[in-house]
Amino acid sequence: MLDTIPGVALAAIGLAVLAAYYRLRSDRPAMSFADGGTASVTVGLTGTEKPAGILRWFTTVDHKDIGLLYILFGTAAALWGATDAMMIRTELLVPESAVWNVETYNAVFTTHGFTMLFFFVTPVFTGIANYVLPLLLGADDLAFPRINAIAFWLLPPSLVMVRGGLITDVIGMVVGVLPVDVTLFEALEPVAMGWTMYTPLSVEMANPQISVALLGLHLSGVATTMAAINFIVTVFTERPPELGWDKLDIFSWNILVTSALILLAFPLLGSTLIMLLLDRNFGTTFFAIEGGGPMLWQHLFWFFGHPEVYILVLPAFGLVSLILPKFCGRRLFGFRFIVYSTIAIGILSFGVWAHHMFATGMDPRLRASFMAVSLAIAIPSAIKEFNWIATMWNGRLRLDAPLICIIGAMSTFVVGGITGVFLASVPVDLVLHDTHYVVGHFHLIVVGVIPLAMIAASYYWFPLITGRMYNQRLARAQTVLLIIGTFVTFIPLLILGYMGMPRRYGIYPTEFITLNQIASLGAFLLGVSVFLWLVNMIQSARVGPVVRDADVWNLKETGQFTREWQWFEDRLEERRGKVEPEGDPGSESETTRAVDPDDDAES
Amino acid sequence: MRGARRTAVIVAFLAALAIGAVPSVAVAASVTEQVISRLNRQLLYLAVPIAVLVEAILAYTVWRFRDNDEPEPTKENRQLEITWTIATALVLLFVGTASFYVLAQPTVSTVLDDPQRNAEPGNAPEDAVEAHIVTEQWNYTFEYPEENVTTSESLVLPENRTAYLYITSEDVIHSVHVPELGLKQDALPGQYNLLRTEPTEKGEYRLYCAELCGRGHPEMLSTVQVVSEDEYERWLENPESALNESEANESSANGSATDGGP
Ligand code: HEM
Ligand SMILES: [Cu+2]
Ligand SMILES: [Cu+2]
Repeated sequence: MLDTIPGVALAAIGLAVLAAYYRLRSDRPAMSFADGGTASVTVGLTGTEKPAGILRWFTTVDHKDIGLLYILFGTAAALWGATDAMMIRTELLVPESAVWNVETYNAVFTTHGFTMLFFFVTPVFTGIANYVLPLLLGADDLAFPRINAIAFWLLPPSLVMVRGGLITDVIGMVVGVLPVDVTLFEALEPVAMGWTMYTPLSVEMANPQISVALLGLHLSGVATTMAAINFIVTVFTERPPELGWDKLDIFSWNILVTSALILLAFPLLGSTLIMLLLDRNFGTTFFAIEGGGPMLWQHLFWFFGHPEVYILVLPAFGLVSLILPKFCGRRLFGFRFIVYSTIAIGILSFGVWAHHMFATGMDPRLRASFMAVSLAIAIPSAIKEFNWIATMWNGRLRLDAPLICIIGAMSTFVVGGITGVFLASVPVDLVLHDTHYVVGHFHLIVVGVIPLAMIAASYYWFPLITGRMYNQRLARAQTVLLIIGTFVTFIPLLILGYMGMPRRYGIYPTEFITLNQIASLGAFLLGVSVFLWLVNMIQSARVGPVVRDADVWNLKETGQFTREWQWFEDRLEERRGKVEPEGDPGSESETTRAVDPDDDAES
Repeated sequence: MRGARRTAVIVAFLAALAIGAVPSVAVAASVTEQVISRLNRQLLYLAVPIAVLVEAILAYTVWRFRDNDEPEPTKENRQLEITWTIATALVLLFVGTASFYVLAQPTVSTVLDDPQRNAEPGNAPEDAVEAHIVTEQWNYTFEYPEENVTTSESLVLPENRTAYLYITSEDVIHSVHVPELGLKQDALPGQYNLLRTEPTEKGEYRLYCAELCGRGHPEMLSTVQVVSEDEYERWLENPESALNESEANESSANGSATDGGP
């Protein structure tokens, strides 16, 4: 059971980071600003003072606090999922199963998929939206602050349930030393049926932990749906009267469309999971051959699953569209078209599910129609890319870390998107389906676009959230490393797919070794990059230079000083009013502008 | 403007280079592989230059407008939006049409309700080879019902004759994935799926399971042997015997089972 150690260690680190963060924030009396660097503590809708210390974080209903909790939770999950990824790539360094046995490999990519999709991406985006959406709208809080808190607090237990096998393994190991019966713990093994949970495999596998994981996924779906409803109601009802639909910012538009997709897709996942649970435990025949048959599972799963991939990526597009213009010194090009394309993607995403099932023997006429819609959905995606380039054209680009992230996301999106067109072409997909080509294609998006957009956001709003500045040189290096790492890791997988290497193979024929080793090397670069990001965030939140001028990114100059920054400025003013006069002028000049001195010298 | 021209030249060069990198025409091992890889090549000829072009424009934009002293405010341009929307649509229309023609070929797709009832086992035409591929955790069994031959060693097919492969599963979902022959078909319990092809090149090709089917999934491998017509006939007479040395290598030398699976 050595294989479970890294995950547990990482979880422990994640928890330690969380705890350290709580301490850091709660150490200080809530309303004093010794060096002006704490996040401000404002009074939420409830109109009461928050309790001090850790209790505050368990009872808070303030959208900013909950946003931070979401982001921290999502980051911890990401690190856990990334540990799985490193375990996958370590195993694939050699063709035989030298590091972990096949069962463990199957479990690792399954939990990797679950953790990344359900506990990393959506929670982090929900967190970012929690924090900034009300500020962007000019609302006090989300429409339902308490539901917001409930939705968040459902996530940690669901993560534990989904990943339980591993945790119980460890408990079993620890308790096993004592003279007690540990069979229960040992019976629960990590789930290993793939994130797609295809029946009959997922019905026939004995491991009782699968049922626990299904419940956990169901719970996380409930949480996600609650958050989505909250966003939809907030956008509809909490806008000030002067903020018409035509003035709604692009990020809120994307969150609105994403939430609509969640509302339509996740309840279906929930029902489908329950049907699977019943099949597993109560002898129903929803997916049995004598009942609905195994194809029913695939139709229901992908009817949720395809919108899900847009649920993952649309908020990233929203962040790119929001942040990009800020570093180009001009407005977003084709705002309207980007909004339309987002809505178009949202609608079309419900009409492409069967393109995951081209190899199941579906009638070719049906395949052809799903191919047509899948190709059509590429149009709005391309429109976005072109609009982003046009936004940069003739602008004044400032190559700060957020912009580098976005340029990286745009460049991986080109390859990720075009490789998707090949998979939409039925005959080509027949050869590539279930090979590493698919893994390469979607990781160019889920690693190339989504985390890059998140990291761009983390750098862009870092001063607003922490009141401090991060190390910009480290940030730039980290970003460039992440972009390089993405290409080095996932381009070889495309070639491996063309050579025929199936996915979900912990053991593979020796001819694939070189490309696999290159991919693993890239993955370790990614690991280093993520580590650098983490160090920068934690260290800068603790001791980074304090921000005194709210216009960190020189947005006023180009008329893009949006509401959330205005809010930040008010906050700073308010604080200065309270704790004047303080702070030495030296650090002032150093931190009011977010441009490195060496940058200025160059230009 | 000079910069723009220089970039254009560089982009053209890169695109040419990229096209050169597209895999050249190899000998197709089956008619299925031939049509699919031709389609794939056509798509690559289109996609690689487009990818290079967009990446180059992106890189050029970054380089050219980095710390630009004379930024201009954003001006909306409907015509440009409409132009690139239509251009993308046209490219995708081509992809769709080209793919459709390949999809419609009998060696790529099977219409389930065709009048010959070919989709059901036992209905392969006279001159074709009919073989059933039965999958289970974690091995393949190949049955030749007309010849009364069953083996789990490897799927033997004669060169240049149409093969009708009826694929099914005894337990969970498996798959028949022979990349070099351009074949992929899931094996589902309770139903037969038909894969039609015609091998055109003698040789031994690896057969993988490509649907996660449990612990043995990555080791659920087998082979497809494409042999001459004579060789095939001889093998049917005596499936226990090893195939000709030149066509079958050591992997099939340790004899073949004669009955359906364990
Ligand atoms: C840290 C960088 C990452 C690396 C190196 C990586 C690597 C991999 C590899 C090699 C596989 C294929 C395993 C196999 O089929 O044998 C895989 C599967 C997968 N990955 Fe990642 N991954 C990374 C990040 C992510 C992220 C950020 C997401 C989602 C947001 C993600 C989602 C998935 C999913 C859904 C699967 C499919 C799991 C399955 O087959 O059931 N990965 N990953
Ligand atoms: Cu199998
Ligand atoms: Cu398999």
